[in-house]
Amino acid sequence: MDYVFQFGVVWREIDALLLGAWLTLRLSALAMVFGLIVGIAGALAKASRYRTLRLIAHTYVEAIRNTPFLVQVLFVYLGLPSVGMRLTPDQAALLAMVINLGAYTTEIVRAGIKAVPAGQIQAGTALGLSRWQIFRFVVCLPALRAVFPALGSQFILVMLASSVVSVISAEELTAVADTIVARNFRSFEVYLIVTGLYLAMCLAFQGAFAVIHRALFARWRA
Amino acid sequence: MRARRRTVFLVALSIVLGLSLAPFAPAVTAQTVDEIIKRGKVIVGVNTTTPIFGLVGSDGQPEGYDPDVARLVGKYLGVQVEFVSVTGANRLPFLLTNRVDMVIALFGITPERAQQIWFSMPYATEAATLVAPASRAVKSVDDLAGLRVGVPRGAMQDLILTPQAAAKKINLMRFDDEATALQAMVSGQIDVVGTGLLVYRTLNRNDPGKNYEVKIVLRPLHFGIGIRRGQIDLLQWLNTFIYTIKNNGELDAISRKWRQLPLEPLPVF
Repeated sequence: MDYVFQFGVVWREIDALLLGAWLTLRLSALAMVFGLIVGIAGALAKASRYRTLRLIAHTYVEAIRNTPFLVQVLFVYLGLPSVGMRLTPDQAALLAMVINLGAYTTEIVRAGIKAVPAGQIQAGTALGLSRWQIFRFVVCLPALRAVFPALGSQFILVMLASSVVSVISAEELTAVADTIVARNFRSFEVYLIVTGLYLAMCLAFQGAFAVIHRALFARWRA
Repeated sequence: MRARRRTVFLVALSIVLGLSLAPFAPAVTAQTVDEIIKRGKVIVGVNTTTPIFGLVGSDGQPEGYDPDVARLVGKYLGVQVEFVSVTGANRLPFLLTNRVDMVIALFGITPERAQQIWFSMPYATEAATLVAPASRAVKSVDDLAGLRVGVPRGAMQDLILTPQAAAKKINLMRFDDEATALQAMVSGQIDVVGTGLLVYRTLNRNDPGKNYEVKIVLRPLHFGIGIRRGQIDLLQWLNTFIYTIKNNGELDAISRKWRQLPLEPLPVF
């Protein structure tokens, strides 16, 4: 190996890299929020007594979980314009991430809801809680608490998967890195720094999840 | 009985592991012509996302101007050709990290790139251009203000437009490869696409009615075969090879087949 490492030329680009990381963070955070909403809705649909609703949720989950994320991204950005739905790269990336995460979250939340004992819901009814109160306090929160670690790792996965949206010219961290490498060919240095940035973002998200967990569920710890 | 079953299992496991690790063995690339001939194959990086110069054919093999030149390299060296798909952005790293012996992938000859690799004599004429439908009024780079201009990341169009994009308010969008940029053009996701001289024909064939045309020639280019620096032996062979196929009509045949144009006179250096 006679490669000469030159981190200087890469540090000069750190602003661009941080801008890319910022888009990755924003896309991921929004995808997590909307993905969770889609997931809860999907899980409720799957537990619904209406067959059509169950069928729709089932089809959605199977279709998304059994196709590659990259194809979903390309479909949203390049395919949807054919039916008149034109999104910018960032919007298309976010939509694809929400659709993708929503399917996985549906299954995770469904597992959580199944773990809520029937007696707990009956107890809620016996206490005279409204349907909304039962859903919120007796089903949803305990369900989320049960599957919180699984949700967290799925959220981290979608952030890491966001690196492929560079293909549709969304300028997230990996896209910026690829552009810099194409210009100065310092692939080792650039990707090493990018790896560090992804790791830092993962740790930041995990820290945030820990804080949210404490805020939501702390008082339940017996 | 149980012990034997375990032995069979272990042997099977080690075979599977061995096979799965094989692709991760260090890339063994030849540095000289003799080493390529001794190995019996030449490993060539080609771009398979660019109409005319390189696409994947219906048989799954690369086809186009560049793959045909690569096949001639194999023919004259008397070895098999192993194709490796590269993109505009990763072709240089692929060369520098010894994954390929040479890159024949629309590699425009520039002094910046020549700081990292060596180029053979030119084997093709091209240009970095901007293409748009006839209805789009674009005559110079200044007219691109406010337009979405899609380019392949790291390609010449990207390198030329990036320094002026901010000042001229060009919405420059970089795609991972040319095929995606062209698809974005057809989908209406971009207004102008950065490509070569002849790709407008492919666009018109696949998306009729828009009358795509070359709006701006950013820079005339010649393509050279890229090799690692210092491989004087391989460079000398490649230049002799290009001289030969230029004079015996084989390169002209490739040009007529893929570009529907006779081979223009090519400069030498």
